Amino acid sequence: MLNISNLHVSVGSKPIIDGLSLAVPAGEVHAVMGPNGAGKSTLSYTLAGRGGYEVTGGSATLNGEDLLTLGPDERAAKGVFLSFQYPLEIPGVPALTFIRTAMNAQRKARGEPEVSAPDFLKRVRAAAANLRMDMDMLKRGLNVGFSGGEKKRMEILQMALLEPRLLILDETDSGLDIDALRIVSEGVNAMRSPDRAMLVITHYQRLLDYIKPDRVHVLAAGRIVASGGPELALELEREGYDKYASSSQSVAAA
Amino acid sequence: MAAVQKTIDTVSALEAYEHGFVTDIETEFAPKGLSEDTVRFISAKKGEPDWMLEWRLEAYRRWIAMDEPDWAKLSYPRIDYQDAFYYAAPKEKDGPKSLDEVDPELLRTYEKLGIPLKEQAFLAGVQGSPKIAVDAVFDSVSVATTFRAELAKSGVIFCPISEALRDHPDLVRKYLATVVPTTDNYFACLNSAVFSDGSFVYIPPGVRCPMELSTYFRINASGTGQFERTLIIADKGSYVSYLEGCTAPMRDENQLHAAVVELVALEDAEIKYSTVQNWYPGDPDTGKGGIYNFVTKRADCRGDRSKVSWTQVETGSAITWKYPSCVLRGEGSQGEFYSIAITNGRQQADTGTKMIHLGKNTRSRIISKGISAGKSTQTYRGLVSAHPKALGARNFTQCDSLLIGKDCAAHTVPYVEARNAHCTFEHEATTTRLSDDQLFYCQSRGLDAEASVALLVNGFVRDVLQQLPMEFAVEAQKLVAVSLEGSVG
Amino acid sequence: MSLAAAIAARDPDLLPSRRDEDWRWTGLRELIRVVPPASPKVASVAGHAALAALGWPTLVFANGHTLEEASIAIPATGKGAFVRRFVSASDGAAHHVEADVSVGEGGRLVLIDSFEGEGAGYVASAALSIRLAANARVERIVLLDDAEDAISVARTDVDLAPGASFHQTVLAAGAKRQRFETHVSHPGAGVNVRLDGAYVLTGKRHSDQTTVVAHAGENGITTQLIKGVATDQARGVFQGRIVVQRGADGTDARMAHHALLLSDRAEIDAKPELEIYADDVSCAHGNTVGALDEAAIFYARSRGIPEAAAKAMLTTAYLGEVIERIVDEPARELALAWLTGRLERLA
Ligand SMILES: Nc1ncnc2c1ncn2[C@@H]1O[C@H](COP(=O)(O)OP(=O)(O)OP(=O)(O)O)[C@@H](O)[C@H]1O
Ligand SMILES: [Mg+2]
Repeated sequence: MLNISNLHVSVGSKPIIDGLSLAVPAGEVHAVMGPNGAGKSTLSYTLAGRGGYEVTGGSATLNGEDLLTLGPDERAAKGVFLSFQYPLEIPGVPALTFIRTAMNAQRKARGEPEVSAPDFLKRVRAAAANLRMDMDMLKRGLNVGFSGGEKKRMEILQMALLEPRLLILDETDSGLDIDALRIVSEGVNAMRSPDRAMLVITHYQRLLDYIKPDRVHVLAAGRIVASGGPELALELEREGYDKYASSSQSVAAA
Repeated sequence: MAAVQKTIDTVSALEAYEHGFVTDIETEFAPKGLSEDTVRFISAKKGEPDWMLEWRLEAYRRWIAMDEPDWAKLSYPRIDYQDAFYYAAPKEKDGPKSLDEVDPELLRTYEKLGIPLKEQAFLAGVQGSPKIAVDAVFDSVSVATTFRAELAKSGVIFCPISEALRDHPDLVRKYLATVVPTTDNYFACLNSAVFSDGSFVYIPPGVRCPMELSTYFRINASGTGQFERTLIIADKGSYVSYLEGCTAPMRDENQLHAAVVELVALEDAEIKYSTVQNWYPGDPDTGKGGIYNFVTKRADCRGDRSKVSWTQVETGSAITWKYPSCVLRGEGSQGEFYSIAITNGRQQADTGTKMIHLGKNTRSRIISKGISAGKSTQTYRGLVSAHPKALGARNFTQCDSLLIGKDCAAHTVPYVEARNAHCTFEHEATTTRLSDDQLFYCQSRGLDAEASVALLVNGFVRDVLQQLPMEFAVEAQKLVAVSLEGSVG
Repeated sequence: MSLAAAIAARDPDLLPSRRDEDWRWTGLRELIRVVPPASPKVASVAGHAALAALGWPTLVFANGHTLEEASIAIPATGKGAFVRRFVSASDGAAHHVEADVSVGEGGRLVLIDSFEGEGAGYVASAALSIRLAANARVERIVLLDDAEDAISVARTDVDLAPGASFHQTVLAAGAKRQRFETHVSHPGAGVNVRLDGAYVLTGKRHSDQTTVVAHAGENGITTQLIKGVATDQARGVFQGRIVVQRGADGTDARMAHHALLLSDRAEIDAKPELEIYADDVSCAHGNTVGALDEAAIFYARSRGIPEAAAKAMLTTAYLGEVIERIVDEPARELALAWLTGRLERLA
């Protein structure tokens, strides 16, 4: 479903993603782990199409379709969803308004009819209840004054409502308390389906206890340096990234 | 708490204005008053080339036609420009060839001010303390410049501007008045006509100046104005940190100080310019005497990625009119202004900065901390502007005023002019008084009122103090405490 | 030196110029070589659907004259909601209008002042005053809908007795030169003054909101939020001055001006000024000028909202913050409709 091949990305003039290849077939959940500054968020922003992330080589396709030439909103309409590591605050735009605008814009782009107001509210209520979120929170400016954990829930709520096909979760677990971690993971698991793919970026096994990955990749110095089954995450938890740090350097040096 | 204790000790150790003594030295004056003849006299004294005399006379003629500015929030009696000496110099027999020949009375003066003019004194001094090269300007002339030989080894020129006019006329001519044009403003124009000395600095390409450079200005003679002119050029990729200090004796009369400072930073060059201005502020109760400080300081960040940073600690002068500015011409150039201004007694200060963004992706930062006490008045006045071509320009301004006592005043007058959709300007300002709760807290820990104020004020100005070179930071911290003496009952 | 004096004497030398500090961004002398002749009296003006829909008593001033004799005076403890329309109805003519409002002790008033340009190229001046007795409350909405090529200057002097409150929101669309001045003499004494504003400027329009609040007594409160958007070659000006006079202890004053520049040929000029002569005060001002937040645009787009729609949504939210502070609901709805209409012209 998602196919990344020999991707190179620079920020400013600094190369950050350096020949990264990765394939996530439909129906699978892949975890990406790696040291701070390895380029994980850069990868997720590049896939979502943020300005300033210059692709200098390689490709990324969703179901065979080139993602990299599309604007961020066009990618969203095709089903790409990024749960931000640091979600933004948008004062003056209530979450409800924001999500509804987004939902209808995506539908319009796909040639689908707009969702009716009562139908929309019904869906929001259900999704909010699943995530144990208060409807009042959705009437305030988007994320304004929310705690770190509340912002992450708001991301997952949007994800549940927008029903994307490629889900990228950038450290969705950071900032969540123990209960919230479980609730959010349930929300994510509920979205697992044979026609969806997920890329879960995290630093901790904890999240993977809830969201069981099919594959685990190690991203270091801008490329995938190791891949394996769920046991790889456990090994990383025990041993850290030392050996990858040196191997990636030697690869880079070679 | 070591630093705190140190501040308190310092406060109690110092008198209100410790630089108020007069040096008894034989002085040579120009005839009183200002005329073309005065200008000719000064130029002749300096042995200047003809083009320089012509340049001065032209400035003088323009100046007579100009009006003194009145837009600042300052009130002072009209200055009688004919009632002052425009040139005063310590009499010297043949002119000192080396430091050993400098009048010992002068050396003692600078010693008393804590400014070492003897290189060996420096070397013999505190182990490991950094070297500072000093140019000492006494009334209208430079009396000594130290470490010149050592600086020359790396190609750095550091000398009195009068000497630079003789020895490096092409350099001076190329840059003089290119940052502050002769007719820029009333006081700059006056300065152009009558300036007598000041420092000249040239840092060659790629050179990091091996030591701090500094100039100490001292007004000594009575009835005399000081009009110095400083010109600093940092050539491509060079770096220099420059310090400026000023003091004057306590006198009942007002003395005029109208200086011009021009900085030029070429590609990738950086200039750090710090000032501790401690001119005599006048009598705190009667407001009698004190220096009128009308200064034009401007930096031209001419080269791409060049950077100029102004840091000032303004505690002295009866009247301050001063806006160290940056013209951000080079692409990606940066300007900074860090200021602490303290007014007490009857002082009046109208000071701030201008950041003029002309080039793409230029950045500026303004941190201003003003403290008004006694019956003083202080105004922050600042301009931040972005030209239509200055895409990507950014400014951040933080401007805080602290009021101590019922009779002082604090004003904030920022001007913002944005002329393209790709600039980002942010300005924040606050005016508050010293918090009773904080004062009480300090006192409940055993500090007396004055020490508490000094402590809290030092906290208030911390962001700026941190920008000063180490040696100056300590002096500045002392000054902050001393300047506020008597501000709480 | 004022536009009113220049109109009365037909003497352009009486106009304020850029060289006058308070007019540095709105010079008139540079613009008006010859003062146009006096505007004729007119018998009627066109209707204003949105205002008519309010169903409030309405006073109409056309070319500086009242169409019928009437004045607004809210008696003690009375309540009122009024509309005043100041219509410049003729082309290329000049006029000056004066009008007063007074609100008795404990009275309440919602006042909508609408400045409208039916004509073209006119020069309009207004001097208005509003007096509030003790504990009176006024909420005022000002709509500045001058013609694109008009020159329009209005000044309001507000005088407040202890315990009163004055809330104002000025919505400006600009003109060739447009200036709206509000001068408040603030007695302190628990009085609460709110001076808000928003401007949406397109084409070559210019708009200047100038406010002066002078705190003379203890414990006064002033808050200000002015937000604006300028595109094309438009120019937005904000000059705010808060003066805290000696003895006005306990003053709490907050002033904020934020503006968006949507074009590289547009311009924003701001001077948020504090002039403080008392020490027990808490005053602050903030000023920002910039473009829409790129990160917010990307966030919205990453959720599928196209760029133009994302920008429109963020701009509306940006200015909407000012509208939300209007307490009276019909007035707020009117203001919101005004804003929406003006923002549509941005796209
Ligand atoms: N806008 C930028 N400008 C310059 N460097 C950047 C920028 N954004 C990211 N980088 C650099 O790129 C590298 C990768 O950053 P990235 O945020 O992708 O790391 P990460 O793997 O997500 O780290 P973390 O685990 O801490 O979230 C870092 O060295 C970072 O400093
Ligand atoms: Mg990251």
